[in-house]
Amino acid sequence: MSVKAKKLLIFMVAVGLIVTSLTGYAAKKKVEVKPEDYIIRVTEDWPTYIDPAVGSDFSDSIALVNLYDSLVFPQPDGTVKPQLSTNWTVSPDGKTYTFNIRKGVKFHNGDELKASDVEFSLQRMMKIGEGYGYLFTSTVDSVKAAGDYKIEIKLREPFGPFILSLVRLYVVNKKQVMEHIEKNGQYGEMGDYGKKWLLTHDAGSGPYKVKEMKMEEYLLAEKFDNFWQGWAPQAPRYFKESGSVEPVTVRTLVSRRELEITDELQPLENYDTMARLAGVKVATFFNGHNLNMMLNTKKPPTDDIHFRKALSYILDYNTITTRIYPGSKPSRGPIPFNLPGFDNTIKGYTRDVAKAREELAKSRYADKLDQYPVELTWCAEAPEEEKIALLFQANAAEIGIKVNITKKPFGSMIADAQKMETTPNASVVFVAPHYAEAGSMLTTRYHSSSTGTWEQMEWLQDKEIDRMIEDALATVDQAQRFAKYARIQKKIVELAPTIWLFDQAERRAYQANYIVWPTAERASKGKIFTSVMGYDQYAHDMKVYPEKRAELLQK
Amino acid sequence: MGSDLLKRIGLSIFVLFSLSILIFLIARVVPGDPARLALGPRAPEWAVENLRKEMHLDKPFYAQYGLWLAGIGHGDLGKSLVTRRPVSADIREFLPATFEIVGLSALIMALGGIFLGVLSAKYSNSWFDGVTRIISYLGIVTPAFVWAIIFMLIFGYVFPIFPITGRLSPGFEAPTTITGMFTLDSLLAGDPRTAWDAFLHLVLPAIALAMGGLAQAARITRSSMTDNMSKDYIAAETAYGIPPRRILMKYLLKPSLIPTVSVMALDIAALFGNAFLVELIFNYPGLSRYGIEAMLNKDLNAISAVIMVLGLAFVTMNIAIDILVGYLDPRIGLAGRRN
Repeated sequence: MSVKAKKLLIFMVAVGLIVTSLTGYAAKKKVEVKPEDYIIRVTEDWPTYIDPAVGSDFSDSIALVNLYDSLVFPQPDGTVKPQLSTNWTVSPDGKTYTFNIRKGVKFHNGDELKASDVEFSLQRMMKIGEGYGYLFTSTVDSVKAAGDYKIEIKLREPFGPFILSLVRLYVVNKKQVMEHIEKNGQYGEMGDYGKKWLLTHDAGSGPYKVKEMKMEEYLLAEKFDNFWQGWAPQAPRYFKESGSVEPVTVRTLVSRRELEITDELQPLENYDTMARLAGVKVATFFNGHNLNMMLNTKKPPTDDIHFRKALSYILDYNTITTRIYPGSKPSRGPIPFNLPGFDNTIKGYTRDVAKAREELAKSRYADKLDQYPVELTWCAEAPEEEKIALLFQANAAEIGIKVNITKKPFGSMIADAQKMETTPNASVVFVAPHYAEAGSMLTTRYHSSSTGTWEQMEWLQDKEIDRMIEDALATVDQAQRFAKYARIQKKIVELAPTIWLFDQAERRAYQANYIVWPTAERASKGKIFTSVMGYDQYAHDMKVYPEKRAELLQK
Repeated sequence: MGSDLLKRIGLSIFVLFSLSILIFLIARVVPGDPARLALGPRAPEWAVENLRKEMHLDKPFYAQYGLWLAGIGHGDLGKSLVTRRPVSADIREFLPATFEIVGLSALIMALGGIFLGVLSAKYSNSWFDGVTRIISYLGIVTPAFVWAIIFMLIFGYVFPIFPITGRLSPGFEAPTTITGMFTLDSLLAGDPRTAWDAFLHLVLPAIALAMGGLAQAARITRSSMTDNMSKDYIAAETAYGIPPRRILMKYLLKPSLIPTVSVMALDIAALFGNAFLVELIFNYPGLSRYGIEAMLNKDLNAISAVIMVLGLAFVTMNIAIDILVGYLDPRIGLAGRRN
């Protein structure tokens, strides 16, 4: 080796030593608890819209429940408890709801929340029509403040689950929004209705207020000291939601104790790896979502009920819930088992090759299967669905049915769903309820008004089902409504428009050593509860112990 | 030289104009209704229709293109369906962030690549050359996002010495915007602590992004230098007794850099487009990530704007290469001919 080469080698060794000593320094650095360590950080798919009249996605909902208050608050048993409203009455015809508004509730800027704010918020949601606005545009006729602390909402028709849908009516500060309206907007005298300002600011009364909102990156919210419910000791001072869902990033953040609760989108092996980290646990709970294989009932060969039943009987559900999505539960019908209104007497479909052959024999396509392959599309953004598609293909081949598989981005699936002709025979899609009751899913999944959307690629268009759903929703008495839901579920199962794959178990890794997360505690005790999107991450009810975090970091 | 430069600029404008038509067309023929995608499946039809009108989607293609072009003339790139604000505001925010990473990446690529290439050529066929060659091959065949994952695991997970997400650590305030680049703006504001923190956030993504180009530059520099070493003019300079170091740095390196510079400049322009996975992994709010979000959500105005910015980067770098190559070898003119 020449002298110069030796010098080079010495130089490289020296660089290596410096790097090693730096890492040693980093590892031994003393960790001190700072005020900003009283924080709950969560990851979720991005972008996030924090305007209550715009956002409705997972990440939006998490932000909204922490920044705003609603008239009622969902409970684990599927009911609601008073929040901004102290109590309410319903008129005998079931069309007029009168709410008494809680006195002394302060918005983040110090203004008192009044009935006029509720009126403004509902009108704003209905006028903009985005986000959760659709929950009210089809049901609410008018809203009027009767004094400072009373609000009256009139419905077009009686709508039994109306109270449940109010968990999505987030109340904004009318005065503050009006101050930030941009004149040249699409809403006439209301200009842009404050949409631009509310993209990055809040006008709420919830437990947290926006400190920093970086589009494409994160939302950092700070505890609102004057929150009307008060604060428990060890409550998080900050709440941060960010858009890092890349598995390696999430795992690294968890290992560095820079992330308290992960998103639900991680691959199974990532949860397993994180669960092996000291102090980290994986919470598993049923979120009321289910995975469906939607069968186009107007397109051959899935337009034949016996053909659909054959497909329903041939699928190996057990492999899906034990190997592909472990922890999930085989669905028994269109409604997830933990959603109020689920019919517990339904049997659903299980794998039975003999029955599948029997049904196929009754089908008008039985002797020309080679001419009618089943076109199946799965969603490119959910890679595990490919395994289901391949399993289905293999199972169907057992009875001579050919399945052609196509992977498509969700955007293309939405476009395909707009016309019956372009909707494939089978589409694998996750679906979530919009409010915590069976009526929500029955409407969005099987009522004719939903055809042409990705939520109903079955094109069922059954007038009898439509009538039954409308009748059930108009029933104010809960017991009667649930009985009607049960009859609808039985009828739909009999028609087999869908292969209901499983009720989803949501997983999230969390720092069990230094945070207390009520949802995870409930799940760890094996309790079955109703989960309403976003409310599981209500940071006000969590606790954080930064000194325990510091101990973990020093180990 | 002057007229050649003008011709190149004229040609570049034509290329950008053609690109704008092409991307405008492609973005609109891809299936999916952008207004419906933006507002969600449950939004009432009237709300979707209002948005279509606002975005001029109810007009024929040529009219949409004309309006878009007229908007550009006023600095208006339309509104983004993802961020719900003007695309020009998004570009102002995200481009400097990506520029910061690409700038550092280019620096690492140029200095590291040329340094390794020169050493490899000098010690050609030695153990050092062998090691560099292996590293170079690894650098070339490994995509930037894999490097990003490897660096994150080493320097974020095993030895947590670098920050791994975002542009600043908690507790740091973003500096007042001057250039949009946090390191530079913090220094201009006299805040070296924030500048250092912002710089630390750039290190891992910039190195990950630079690895491919660095390896390529090292290989090309080495090959070019070893080729030139056997040329007669080097033998003559050695015979004149000119010190080897002077021959290496003055007479050998400069002409040997021509192929390196040509390839590297295009590599640097390509970094703008290639950065998206790296930005995604490091949750870095840059232009590439914004572009991908735009494509996934069929955000028409944002797609067009991002592609035009990338196109602009390519044509600018192309002109810059030609000027630089002309400097390295004055016999080569801008039109590519030897004078």
